[in-house]
Amino acid sequence: MVRMESMTFGYGKRPLFEDLDLRLEPGAIHGLLGLNGAGKTSLLKIAAGALRPERGSVEVYGRAPGKREAAALADVCFVPEDPCFPALKPAAWLGRYAAFRPAFDRGRFDELFAELGLDADKPISKFSYGQRKKFALAAAVASGSRLLLLDEPTNGLDIPSKAQLRRVLAAASGPDRVVVVSTHQIRDLELLLDPIIVIDRGRVAFTVTMAELSDRLGAARLPSIEGRPVVYAERDAVGWTALLATAGPGEAAPPDLELVFNAAIAAPDRLAAALRGDALPEYRPEAAALAAGGRA
Amino acid sequence: MNRDTLSSRFSAGRVMLLARNRAYDDAPGLGIGLAIVAGLNLLSILIADRAFMNSEGDPSYAGLIIISGLILSSQAFKGMHGRTGADWILLPATPLEKYAAAFVSYLVVFPLVAAAAAMGLSFVLALVERAAGGPGTGIWHPISLAALRSYGEYAVVAVAFLAGSAAFRKRAFLKTAGLSVAFVLLCSLVVYLGLSLVHEATGSRGFSVSYDSGSLTVLGGDGPGALSVERTLRVLVDVVRLALVPAFSIAFGYLRVAEKEARDEVQ
Repeated sequence: MVRMESMTFGYGKRPLFEDLDLRLEPGAIHGLLGLNGAGKTSLLKIAAGALRPERGSVEVYGRAPGKREAAALADVCFVPEDPCFPALKPAAWLGRYAAFRPAFDRGRFDELFAELGLDADKPISKFSYGQRKKFALAAAVASGSRLLLLDEPTNGLDIPSKAQLRRVLAAASGPDRVVVVSTHQIRDLELLLDPIIVIDRGRVAFTVTMAELSDRLGAARLPSIEGRPVVYAERDAVGWTALLATAGPGEAAPPDLELVFNAAIAAPDRLAAALRGDALPEYRPEAAALAAGGRA
Repeated sequence: MNRDTLSSRFSAGRVMLLARNRAYDDAPGLGIGLAIVAGLNLLSILIADRAFMNSEGDPSYAGLIIISGLILSSQAFKGMHGRTGADWILLPATPLEKYAAAFVSYLVVFPLVAAAAAMGLSFVLALVERAAGGPGTGIWHPISLAALRSYGEYAVVAVAFLAGSAAFRKRAFLKTAGLSVAFVLLCSLVVYLGLSLVHEATGSRGFSVSYDSGSLTVLGGDGPGALSVERTLRVLVDVVRLALVPAFSIAFGYLRVAEKEARDEVQ
Protein backbone atom coordinates (compact mmCIF):
# COMPACT_ATOMS: atom_id res chain seq x y z
CA MET A 1 0.00 0.00 0.00
CA VAL A 2 1.03 3.61 -0.52
CA ARG A 3 0.62 6.19 2.21
CA MET A 4 1.48 9.89 2.06
CA GLU A 5 0.91 12.01 5.13
CA SER A 6 1.19 15.81 5.31
CA MET A 7 3.47 15.63 2.30
CA THR A 8 4.84 18.94 1.08
CA PHE A 9 6.87 19.30 -2.07
CA GLY A 10 7.77 22.07 -4.47
CA TYR A 11 10.13 23.23 -7.18
CA GLY A 12 12.27 26.10 -5.91
CA LYS A 13 10.14 28.37 -3.77
CA ARG A 14 6.91 27.38 -5.53
CA PRO A 15 5.00 24.76 -3.54
CA LEU A 16 3.33 22.08 -5.63
CA PHE A 17 1.83 20.02 -2.82
CA GLU A 18 1.09 21.27 0.67
CA ASP A 19 0.21 18.82 3.44
CA LEU A 20 -1.10 16.32 0.94
CA ASP A 21 -2.61 13.14 2.37
CA LEU A 22 -3.13 10.10 0.18
CA ARG A 23 -3.72 6.43 0.80
CA LEU A 24 -3.75 3.86 -1.99
CA GLU A 25 -4.90 0.34 -1.23
CA PRO A 26 -3.83 -2.74 -3.20
CA GLY A 27 -6.15 -4.57 -5.56
CA ALA A 28 -7.20 -1.51 -7.55
CA ILE A 29 -6.21 0.54 -10.56
CA HIS A 30 -6.22 4.11 -9.28
CA GLY A 31 -6.85 6.88 -11.78
CA LEU A 32 -4.89 10.03 -11.03
CA LEU A 33 -6.42 13.08 -12.66
CA GLY A 34 -5.47 16.74 -12.59
CA LEU A 35 -5.00 19.78 -14.75
CA ASN A 36 -1.74 20.40 -16.59
CA GLY A 37 0.89 21.33 -14.01
CA ALA A 38 -1.19 19.99 -11.10
CA GLY A 39 1.71 17.67 -10.24
CA LYS A 40 0.54 14.24 -11.41
CA THR A 41 3.97 13.21 -12.70
CA SER A 42 5.68 14.68 -9.64
CA LEU A 43 3.34 12.73 -7.37
CA LEU A 44 4.21 9.50 -9.20
CA LYS A 45 7.92 10.30 -8.94
CA ILE A 46 7.59 10.98 -5.22
CA ALA A 47 5.86 7.62 -4.74
CA ALA A 48 8.63 5.96 -6.76
CA GLY A 49 11.46 7.65 -4.84
CA ALA A 50 12.83 9.72 -7.73
CA LEU A 51 11.77 12.90 -5.93
CA ARG A 52 11.84 13.48 -2.20
CA PRO A 53 9.25 15.44 -0.23
CA GLU A 54 10.37 18.49 1.70
CA ARG A 55 8.17 17.56 4.65
CA GLY A 56 5.84 14.78 5.64
CA SER A 57 6.13 11.07 5.11
CA VAL A 58 5.82 8.74 2.14
CA GLU A 59 5.61 4.98 2.61
CA VAL A 60 5.33 2.26 0.01
CA TYR A 61 4.61 -1.14 1.52
CA GLY A 62 6.14 0.06 4.77
CA ARG A 63 9.34 1.49 3.26
CA ALA A 64 10.33 5.07 2.52
CA PRO A 65 11.11 5.14 -1.23
CA GLY A 66 13.24 8.28 -0.82
CA LYS A 67 15.86 6.22 1.07
CA ARG A 68 16.43 4.29 -2.15
CA GLU A 69 17.04 0.90 -0.64
CA ALA A 70 17.38 -1.74 -3.35
CA ALA A 71 14.38 -3.69 -2.06
CA ALA A 72 12.17 -0.59 -2.06
CA LEU A 73 13.26 0.36 -5.58
CA ALA A 74 12.64 -3.17 -6.87
CA ASP A 75 9.12 -3.06 -5.45
CA VAL A 76 8.21 -0.01 -7.55
CA CYS A 77 8.06 0.34 -11.31
CA PHE A 78 7.56 3.78 -12.83
CA VAL A 79 6.75 4.03 -16.53
CA PRO A 80 7.26 7.62 -17.71
CA GLU A 81 5.17 9.25 -20.38
CA ASP A 82 8.00 9.03 -22.91
CA PRO A 83 10.21 6.09 -21.89
CA CYS A 84 13.86 6.24 -22.97
CA PHE A 85 15.82 3.11 -23.77
CA PRO A 86 19.41 2.48 -24.86
CA ALA A 87 20.27 1.13 -28.31
CA LEU A 88 19.85 -2.48 -27.21
CA LYS A 89 17.69 -5.26 -28.53
CA PRO A 90 14.99 -6.42 -26.08
CA ALA A 91 16.85 -9.60 -25.08
CA ALA A 92 20.07 -7.67 -24.40
CA TRP A 93 18.16 -5.06 -22.39
CA LEU A 94 16.59 -7.79 -20.27
CA GLY A 95 20.00 -9.43 -19.79
CA ARG A 96 21.33 -6.20 -18.36
CA TYR A 97 18.48 -4.88 -16.28
CA ALA A 98 16.06 -7.68 -15.35
CA ALA A 99 18.72 -9.11 -13.01
CA PHE A 100 18.14 -6.18 -10.65
CA ARG A 101 14.57 -7.36 -10.07
CA PRO A 102 14.55 -10.88 -8.60
CA ALA A 103 10.76 -11.13 -9.00
CA PHE A 104 10.97 -10.41 -12.75
CA ASP A 105 8.86 -12.97 -14.59
CA ARG A 106 10.54 -13.68 -17.93
CA GLY A 107 7.74 -15.98 -19.08
CA ARG A 108 5.12 -13.32 -18.44
CA PHE A 109 7.28 -10.74 -20.21
CA ASP A 110 7.60 -12.98 -23.28
CA GLU A 111 3.82 -13.45 -23.36
CA LEU A 112 3.19 -9.72 -23.16
CA PHE A 113 5.93 -9.00 -25.69
CA ALA A 114 4.22 -11.32 -28.19
CA GLU A 115 0.74 -10.02 -27.35
CA LEU A 116 1.82 -6.42 -27.91
CA GLY A 117 3.37 -7.33 -31.27
CA LEU A 118 6.85 -5.96 -30.54
CA ASP A 119 9.90 -6.69 -32.68
CA ALA A 120 12.62 -8.76 -30.95
CA ASP A 121 15.25 -8.00 -33.61
CA LYS A 122 15.14 -4.24 -33.44
CA PRO A 123 16.95 -2.05 -30.88
CA ILE A 124 14.43 -0.60 -28.43
CA SER A 125 15.72 2.92 -29.12
CA LYS A 126 14.53 2.47 -32.72
CA PHE A 127 11.01 1.56 -31.60
CA SER A 128 8.28 4.10 -32.27
CA TYR A 129 6.94 6.15 -29.35
CA GLY A 130 3.97 3.81 -28.95
CA GLN A 131 6.14 0.69 -29.19
CA ARG A 132 8.49 2.03 -26.52
CA LYS A 133 5.50 2.63 -24.27
CA LYS A 134 4.27 -0.90 -24.88
CA PHE A 135 7.72 -2.34 -24.18
CA ALA A 136 7.98 -0.34 -20.96
CA LEU A 137 4.52 -1.49 -19.93
CA ALA A 138 5.38 -5.16 -20.59
CA ALA A 139 8.58 -4.80 -18.55
CA ALA A 140 6.69 -3.09 -15.73
CA VAL A 141 3.93 -5.69 -15.57
CA ALA A 142 6.47 -8.54 -15.61
CA SER A 143 8.76 -6.78 -13.10
CA GLY A 144 7.06 -8.34 -10.09
CA SER A 145 6.91 -4.89 -8.48
CA ARG A 146 3.92 -4.38 -6.23
CA LEU A 147 3.54 -0.71 -7.13
CA LEU A 148 3.10 0.18 -10.80
CA LEU A 149 3.09 3.87 -11.66
CA LEU A 150 2.06 4.67 -15.21
CA ASP A 151 2.29 8.21 -16.51
CA GLU A 152 -0.08 8.90 -19.41
CA PRO A 153 0.07 5.33 -20.74
CA THR A 154 -2.41 5.86 -23.58
CA ASN A 155 -0.83 9.01 -25.05
CA GLY A 156 0.43 8.32 -28.53
CA LEU A 157 -1.12 4.85 -28.80
CA ASP A 158 -3.27 3.91 -31.78
CA ILE A 159 -6.79 2.55 -31.21
CA PRO A 160 -5.92 -1.19 -31.27
CA SER A 161 -2.95 -0.50 -28.99
CA LYS A 162 -5.23 1.21 -26.48
CA ALA A 163 -7.38 -1.92 -26.40
CA GLN A 164 -4.24 -4.04 -25.88
CA LEU A 165 -3.12 -1.73 -23.10
CA ARG A 166 -6.50 -2.04 -21.37
CA ARG A 167 -6.26 -5.85 -21.52
CA VAL A 168 -2.71 -5.85 -20.18
CA LEU A 169 -3.57 -3.41 -17.40
CA ALA A 170 -6.64 -5.35 -16.36
CA ALA A 171 -4.57 -8.50 -16.13
CA ALA A 172 -1.75 -6.69 -14.32
CA SER A 173 -3.95 -5.75 -11.41
CA GLY A 174 -3.85 -8.15 -8.49
CA PRO A 175 -4.85 -8.38 -4.83
CA ASP A 176 -1.37 -7.41 -3.63
CA ARG A 177 -0.62 -4.80 -6.26
CA VAL A 178 -1.27 -1.07 -6.40
CA VAL A 179 -1.56 0.33 -9.92
CA VAL A 180 -1.69 4.10 -10.38
CA VAL A 181 -2.44 5.57 -13.80
CA SER A 182 -2.01 9.27 -14.38
CA THR A 183 -3.95 10.33 -17.43
CA HIS A 184 -5.65 13.09 -19.36
CA GLN A 185 -7.27 10.55 -21.66
CA ILE A 186 -9.91 9.50 -19.17
CA ARG A 187 -12.21 7.96 -21.75
CA ASP A 188 -9.48 5.53 -22.88
CA LEU A 189 -9.39 3.88 -19.47
CA GLU A 190 -12.78 4.76 -18.03
CA LEU A 191 -13.84 1.19 -17.38
CA LEU A 192 -10.58 0.26 -15.64
CA LEU A 193 -9.96 3.13 -13.27
CA ASP A 194 -11.50 2.77 -9.85
CA PRO A 195 -11.15 4.76 -7.63
CA ILE A 196 -10.54 8.15 -9.17
CA ILE A 197 -8.22 10.64 -7.46
CA VAL A 198 -8.37 14.27 -8.53
CA ILE A 199 -5.52 16.52 -7.46
CA ASP A 200 -5.96 20.25 -7.62
CA ARG A 201 -4.12 23.21 -6.04
CA GLY A 202 -1.61 21.06 -4.22
CA ARG A 203 -4.06 18.71 -2.54
CA VAL A 204 -6.19 15.68 -3.20
CA ALA A 205 -9.47 17.35 -4.15
CA PHE A 206 -11.47 14.11 -4.48
CA THR A 207 -11.07 10.40 -4.05
CA VAL A 208 -14.16 8.68 -5.27
CA THR A 209 -15.01 5.11 -6.26
CA MET A 210 -17.03 4.24 -9.33
CA ALA A 211 -19.71 2.75 -7.08
CA GLU A 212 -20.10 6.08 -5.26
CA LEU A 213 -20.25 7.88 -8.57
CA SER A 214 -22.92 5.67 -10.07
CA ASP A 215 -24.92 5.70 -6.83
CA ARG A 216 -25.00 9.46 -6.52
CA LEU A 217 -24.45 10.91 -9.98
CA GLY A 218 -25.76 10.52 -13.49
CA ALA A 219 -25.20 12.15 -16.85
CA ALA A 220 -27.89 13.47 -19.18
CA ARG A 221 -28.23 15.56 -22.32
CA LEU A 222 -30.89 18.17 -21.66
CA PRO A 223 -32.44 21.00 -23.67
CA SER A 224 -32.69 23.02 -20.43
CA ILE A 225 -31.20 22.58 -16.96
CA GLU A 226 -33.77 24.67 -15.15
CA GLY A 227 -35.19 22.94 -12.09
CA ARG A 228 -32.85 19.95 -12.39
CA PRO A 229 -30.41 18.84 -9.66
CA VAL A 230 -27.39 19.89 -11.69
CA VAL A 231 -23.93 19.37 -10.22
CA TYR A 232 -22.17 20.70 -13.27
CA ALA A 233 -23.22 21.33 -16.87
CA GLU A 234 -21.60 22.18 -20.17
CA ARG A 235 -23.48 24.00 -22.89
CA ASP A 236 -23.26 22.72 -26.46
CA ALA A 237 -24.97 23.57 -29.75
CA VAL A 238 -28.29 21.93 -28.90
CA GLY A 239 -28.53 22.20 -25.13
CA TRP A 240 -26.62 20.93 -22.12
CA THR A 241 -24.55 17.93 -21.11
CA ALA A 242 -25.18 17.77 -17.40
CA LEU A 243 -23.92 15.88 -14.40
CA LEU A 244 -26.92 15.34 -12.19
CA ALA A 245 -27.33 14.35 -8.58
CA THR A 246 -29.45 11.21 -8.56
CA ALA A 247 -31.30 9.29 -5.93
CA GLY A 248 -29.77 5.99 -7.00
CA PRO A 249 -28.36 3.96 -9.90
CA GLY A 250 -30.44 3.71 -13.06
CA GLU A 251 -32.05 7.10 -12.68
CA ALA A 252 -29.79 8.58 -15.36
CA ALA A 253 -27.00 7.35 -17.61
CA PRO A 254 -23.77 6.59 -15.70
CA PRO A 255 -21.62 9.70 -15.38
CA ASP A 256 -18.65 9.92 -17.69
CA LEU A 257 -15.38 10.63 -15.96
CA GLU A 258 -14.51 13.62 -18.07
CA LEU A 259 -17.61 15.39 -16.83
CA VAL A 260 -16.88 14.35 -13.26
CA PHE A 261 -13.33 15.67 -13.57
CA ASN A 262 -14.56 19.00 -14.95
CA ALA A 263 -17.05 19.19 -12.08
CA ALA A 264 -14.27 18.48 -9.58
CA ILE A 265 -12.30 21.42 -10.94
CA ALA A 266 -15.11 23.91 -11.68
CA ALA A 267 -17.69 23.07 -9.00
CA PRO A 268 -15.91 21.13 -6.24
CA ASP A 269 -18.34 22.16 -3.49
CA ARG A 270 -21.40 21.05 -5.49
CA LEU A 271 -19.73 17.75 -6.38
CA ALA A 272 -18.85 17.11 -2.74
CA ALA A 273 -22.41 17.93 -1.68
CA ALA A 274 -23.86 15.63 -4.34
CA LEU A 275 -21.59 12.78 -3.26
CA ARG A 276 -22.71 13.28 0.34
CA GLY A 277 -26.35 13.23 -0.81
CA ASP A 278 -26.97 16.85 0.26
CA ALA A 279 -29.49 19.06 -1.51
CA LEU A 280 -27.95 21.30 -4.14
CA PRO A 281 -28.61 25.01 -4.51
CA GLU A 282 -29.67 26.26 -7.94
CA TYR A 283 -26.96 25.79 -10.57
CA ARG A 284 -25.44 28.95 -12.00
CA PRO A 285 -23.22 28.17 -15.00
CA GLU A 286 -21.46 31.53 -14.83
CA ALA A 287 -20.42 30.81 -11.21
CA ALA A 288 -18.91 27.46 -12.25
CA ALA A 289 -17.08 29.15 -15.12
CA LEU A 290 -15.77 31.75 -12.67
CA ALA A 291 -14.64 29.03 -10.24
CA ALA A 292 -12.82 27.24 -13.03
CA GLY A 293 -11.17 30.59 -13.80
CA GLY A 294 -10.18 29.38 -17.21
CA ARG A 295 -7.86 26.82 -15.60
CA ALA A 296 -9.28 23.82 -17.41
CA MET B 1 20.47 -11.82 -7.75
CA ASN B 2 17.95 -13.32 -5.35
CA ARG B 3 15.41 -11.87 -2.97
CA ASP B 4 17.69 -12.28 0.08
CA THR B 5 20.39 -10.19 -1.58
CA LEU B 6 17.79 -7.55 -2.37
CA SER B 7 17.20 -6.79 1.30
CA SER B 8 20.92 -6.26 2.03
CA ARG B 9 22.13 -2.68 2.33
CA PHE B 10 25.21 -3.29 0.21
CA SER B 11 25.52 -6.12 -2.26
CA ALA B 12 28.78 -6.89 -4.05
CA GLY B 13 26.68 -8.82 -6.57
CA ARG B 14 24.75 -5.68 -7.54
CA VAL B 15 28.00 -3.69 -7.76
CA MET B 16 29.36 -6.34 -10.13
CA LEU B 17 26.18 -6.23 -12.22
CA LEU B 18 26.43 -2.45 -12.47
CA ALA B 19 30.14 -2.65 -13.34
CA ARG B 20 29.38 -5.32 -15.94
CA ASN B 21 26.76 -3.05 -17.53
CA ARG B 22 29.28 -0.20 -17.61
CA ALA B 23 31.80 -2.50 -19.27
CA TYR B 24 29.24 -3.41 -21.94
CA ASP B 25 28.54 0.29 -22.51
CA ASP B 26 32.22 1.26 -22.72
CA ALA B 27 33.48 -1.71 -24.76
CA PRO B 28 32.56 -0.30 -28.20
CA GLY B 29 34.42 2.96 -27.46
CA LEU B 30 37.50 1.08 -26.26
CA GLY B 31 37.36 -1.11 -29.36
CA ILE B 32 37.15 1.91 -31.68
CA GLY B 33 40.05 3.61 -29.87
CA LEU B 34 42.15 0.49 -30.13
CA ALA B 35 41.34 0.13 -33.83
CA ILE B 36 42.37 3.73 -34.50
CA VAL B 37 45.70 3.30 -32.67
CA ALA B 38 46.30 -0.01 -34.47
CA GLY B 39 45.42 1.53 -37.85
CA LEU B 40 47.75 4.51 -37.41
CA ASN B 41 50.62 2.26 -36.31
CA LEU B 42 50.06 -0.16 -39.21
CA LEU B 43 50.12 2.82 -41.56
CA SER B 44 53.37 3.91 -39.94
CA ILE B 45 54.82 0.39 -40.47
CA LEU B 46 53.74 0.45 -44.11
CA ILE B 47 55.35 3.85 -44.70
CA ALA B 48 58.42 3.78 -42.43
CA ASP B 49 58.86 0.08 -41.54
CA ARG B 50 58.23 0.83 -37.86
CA ALA B 51 55.32 1.57 -35.56
CA PHE B 52 55.40 5.13 -34.26
CA MET B 53 54.52 4.26 -30.69
CA ASN B 54 55.91 0.84 -29.96
CA SER B 55 58.64 0.33 -27.41
CA GLU B 56 58.96 -1.19 -23.98
CA GLY B 57 58.68 2.10 -22.11
CA ASP B 58 56.70 4.14 -24.64
CA PRO B 59 54.70 6.70 -22.61
CA SER B 60 52.08 7.05 -25.38
CA TYR B 61 50.19 3.91 -24.32
CA ALA B 62 50.01 5.00 -20.68
CA GLY B 63 49.02 8.50 -21.78
CA LEU B 64 46.22 7.19 -23.99
CA ILE B 65 44.94 4.90 -21.23
CA ILE B 66 44.97 7.77 -18.74
CA ILE B 67 43.17 10.19 -21.08
CA SER B 68 40.59 7.55 -22.05
CA GLY B 69 40.03 6.64 -18.39
CA LEU B 70 39.53 10.28 -17.45
CA ILE B 71 37.08 10.83 -20.30
CA LEU B 72 35.11 7.75 -19.25
CA SER B 73 35.23 8.82 -15.59
CA SER B 74 33.85 12.22 -16.54
CA GLN B 75 30.90 10.47 -18.23
CA ALA B 76 30.29 7.98 -15.42
CA PHE B 77 27.13 9.59 -14.04
CA LYS B 78 25.89 11.22 -17.22
CA GLY B 79 22.81 8.98 -17.13
CA MET B 80 21.52 10.45 -13.88
CA HIS B 81 21.17 13.90 -15.42
CA GLY B 82 18.52 14.78 -17.99
CA ARG B 83 15.74 12.67 -19.44
CA THR B 84 17.03 9.30 -18.28
CA GLY B 85 17.53 10.55 -14.73
CA ALA B 86 14.45 8.87 -13.25
CA ASP B 87 15.38 5.50 -14.80
CA TRP B 88 18.94 5.81 -13.47
CA ILE B 89 17.81 6.78 -9.98
CA LEU B 90 15.13 4.09 -9.85
CA LEU B 91 17.31 1.19 -10.99
CA PRO B 92 17.12 -1.14 -7.98
CA ALA B 93 20.56 -0.59 -6.45
CA THR B 94 21.52 1.80 -3.66
CA PRO B 95 23.35 5.06 -4.45
CA LEU B 96 26.41 3.64 -2.67
CA GLU B 97 26.39 0.59 -4.95
CA LYS B 98 26.04 2.79 -8.03
CA TYR B 99 28.92 4.97 -6.89
CA ALA B 100 31.08 1.99 -5.95
CA ALA B 101 30.43 0.41 -9.36
CA ALA B 102 31.85 3.50 -11.07
CA PHE B 103 34.99 3.22 -8.91
CA VAL B 104 35.38 -0.45 -9.72
CA SER B 105 34.88 0.27 -13.41
CA TYR B 106 37.24 3.21 -13.86
CA LEU B 107 39.84 2.66 -11.16
CA VAL B 108 40.21 -1.11 -11.53
CA VAL B 109 38.51 -2.73 -14.53
CA PHE B 110 39.23 -0.12 -17.18
CA PRO B 111 42.97 0.37 -16.41
CA LEU B 112 43.50 -3.41 -16.31
CA VAL B 113 41.55 -4.14 -19.49
CA ALA B 114 43.02 -1.17 -21.35
CA ALA B 115 46.58 -2.08 -20.27
CA ALA B 116 46.04 -5.71 -21.34
CA ALA B 117 44.62 -4.56 -24.68
CA ALA B 118 47.55 -2.17 -25.17
CA MET B 119 50.03 -4.98 -24.39
CA GLY B 120 48.26 -7.22 -26.90
CA LEU B 121 48.30 -4.50 -29.53
CA SER B 122 51.96 -3.76 -28.86
CA PHE B 123 52.78 -7.47 -29.25
CA VAL B 124 50.90 -7.70 -32.56
CA LEU B 125 52.54 -4.50 -33.82
CA ALA B 126 56.01 -5.85 -32.93
CA LEU B 127 55.26 -9.03 -34.90
CA VAL B 128 54.00 -7.06 -37.90
CA GLU B 129 57.00 -4.77 -37.67
CA ARG B 130 59.39 -7.71 -37.77
CA ALA B 131 57.46 -9.35 -40.59
CA ALA B 132 57.70 -6.10 -42.53
CA GLY B 133 61.48 -6.08 -42.09
CA GLY B 134 61.52 -3.36 -39.43
CA PRO B 135 63.51 -3.35 -36.20
CA GLY B 136 60.81 -5.19 -34.22
CA THR B 137 61.02 -3.06 -31.10
CA GLY B 138 60.13 -4.28 -27.61
CA ILE B 139 56.63 -4.88 -26.35
CA TRP B 140 55.03 -2.25 -24.17
CA HIS B 141 54.01 -3.39 -20.70
CA PRO B 142 52.76 -1.60 -17.59
CA ILE B 143 54.86 -3.52 -15.08
CA SER B 144 57.26 -0.85 -13.87
CA LEU B 145 57.61 1.62 -11.03
CA ALA B 146 56.90 4.52 -13.40
CA ALA B 147 53.71 2.85 -14.59
CA LEU B 148 52.59 2.25 -11.00
CA ARG B 149 53.28 5.89 -10.18
CA SER B 150 51.29 6.92 -13.26
CA TYR B 151 48.45 4.74 -12.08
CA GLY B 152 48.51 6.44 -8.66
CA GLU B 153 48.35 9.86 -10.31
CA TYR B 154 45.58 8.61 -12.60
CA ALA B 155 43.55 7.28 -9.65
CA VAL B 156 43.73 10.63 -7.84
CA VAL B 157 42.60 12.58 -10.90
CA ALA B 158 40.00 9.98 -11.95
CA VAL B 159 38.32 10.29 -8.55
CA ALA B 160 38.01 14.05 -9.16
CA PHE B 161 36.56 13.41 -12.62
CA LEU B 162 34.01 11.00 -11.15
CA ALA B 163 32.94 13.75 -8.76
CA GLY B 164 32.81 16.16 -11.72
CA SER B 165 30.57 13.75 -13.58
CA ALA B 166 28.19 13.62 -10.62
CA ALA B 167 28.19 17.40 -10.29
CA PHE B 168 27.99 18.65 -13.86
CA ARG B 169 25.15 17.87 -16.20
CA LYS B 170 26.97 18.90 -19.39
CA ARG B 171 30.63 19.14 -20.46
CA ALA B 172 31.76 17.46 -17.26
CA PHE B 173 35.22 16.67 -18.67
CA LEU B 174 36.02 20.26 -19.63
CA LYS B 175 34.56 21.72 -16.46
CA THR B 176 36.40 19.29 -14.19
CA ALA B 177 39.64 19.80 -16.11
CA GLY B 178 39.17 23.58 -15.82
CA LEU B 179 38.54 23.34 -12.09
CA SER B 180 41.57 21.09 -11.65
CA VAL B 181 43.81 23.55 -13.48
CA ALA B 182 42.40 26.40 -11.41
CA PHE B 183 43.06 24.41 -8.24
CA VAL B 184 46.66 23.67 -9.26
CA LEU B 185 47.22 27.36 -10.06
CA LEU B 186 45.79 28.34 -6.68
CA CYS B 187 48.01 25.83 -4.90
CA SER B 188 51.04 27.13 -6.83
CA LEU B 189 50.16 30.67 -5.86
CA VAL B 190 49.84 29.70 -2.19
CA VAL B 191 53.18 27.86 -2.33
CA TYR B 192 54.85 30.82 -4.01
CA LEU B 193 53.42 33.29 -1.50
CA GLY B 194 54.37 30.99 1.37
CA LEU B 195 57.93 30.73 0.14
CA SER B 196 58.19 34.49 -0.36
CA LEU B 197 56.86 35.20 3.11
CA VAL B 198 59.24 32.79 4.79
CA HIS B 199 62.18 34.11 2.79
CA GLU B 200 61.26 37.66 3.67
CA ALA B 201 60.70 36.91 7.36
CA THR B 202 63.78 34.78 7.94
CA GLY B 203 66.12 35.78 5.14
CA SER B 204 66.89 32.12 4.86
CA ARG B 205 65.86 29.10 2.78
CA GLY B 206 65.30 27.05 5.95
CA PHE B 207 63.34 27.64 9.11
CA SER B 208 62.45 26.22 12.49
CA VAL B 209 59.27 26.67 14.45
CA SER B 210 59.19 27.21 18.19
CA TYR B 211 56.20 27.42 20.46
CA ASP B 212 56.65 29.22 23.71
CA SER B 213 54.16 30.72 26.16
CA GLY B 214 51.31 30.71 23.72
CA SER B 215 53.17 32.23 20.77
CA LEU B 216 54.37 30.55 17.60
CA THR B 217 57.71 31.79 16.28
CA VAL B 218 59.23 31.06 12.90
CA LEU B 219 63.00 31.41 12.87
CA GLY B 220 65.36 31.39 9.95
CA GLY B 221 68.30 29.05 9.78
CA ASP B 222 69.98 26.42 7.67
CA GLY B 223 71.23 24.25 10.53
CA PRO B 224 70.69 20.49 10.79
CA GLY B 225 67.49 20.90 12.88
CA ALA B 226 65.89 23.37 10.50
CA LEU B 227 63.22 22.31 8.07
CA SER B 228 63.64 23.02 4.41
CA VAL B 229 60.86 25.38 3.31
CA GLU B 230 60.52 23.73 -0.08
CA ARG B 231 60.32 20.26 1.41
CA THR B 232 57.73 21.30 3.97
CA LEU B 233 55.56 22.92 1.35
CA ARG B 234 55.93 19.92 -0.94
CA VAL B 235 54.72 17.63 1.84
CA LEU B 236 51.80 19.97 2.47
CA VAL B 237 50.91 20.06 -1.23
CA ASP B 238 51.13 16.25 -1.41
CA VAL B 239 48.85 15.91 1.59
CA VAL B 240 46.33 18.20 -0.11
CA ARG B 241 46.73 16.58 -3.53
CA LEU B 242 46.88 12.91 -2.54
CA ALA B 243 44.68 12.83 0.54
CA LEU B 244 42.43 15.85 0.98
CA VAL B 245 41.38 16.33 -2.65
CA PRO B 246 40.53 12.63 -3.24
CA ALA B 247 38.71 12.43 0.12
CA PHE B 248 36.73 15.56 -0.72
CA SER B 249 36.02 14.30 -4.27
CA ILE B 250 34.78 10.92 -3.01
CA ALA B 251 32.51 12.46 -0.37
CA PHE B 252 31.23 15.21 -2.66
CA GLY B 253 30.59 12.85 -5.59
CA TYR B 254 28.79 10.32 -3.42
CA LEU B 255 26.55 12.96 -1.87
CA ARG B 256 25.65 14.28 -5.32
CA VAL B 257 24.67 10.77 -6.42
CA ALA B 258 22.78 9.99 -3.21
CA GLU B 259 20.88 13.27 -3.21
CA LYS B 260 20.11 13.37 -6.91
CA GLU B 261 16.44 13.80 -7.74
CA ALA B 262 14.67 13.56 -11.10
CA ARG B 263 13.91 17.27 -11.27
CA ASP B 264 15.34 17.85 -14.73
CA GLU B 265 12.24 16.75 -16.60
CA VAL B 266 8.86 18.40 -16.87
CA GLN B 267 6.89 18.25 -13.60
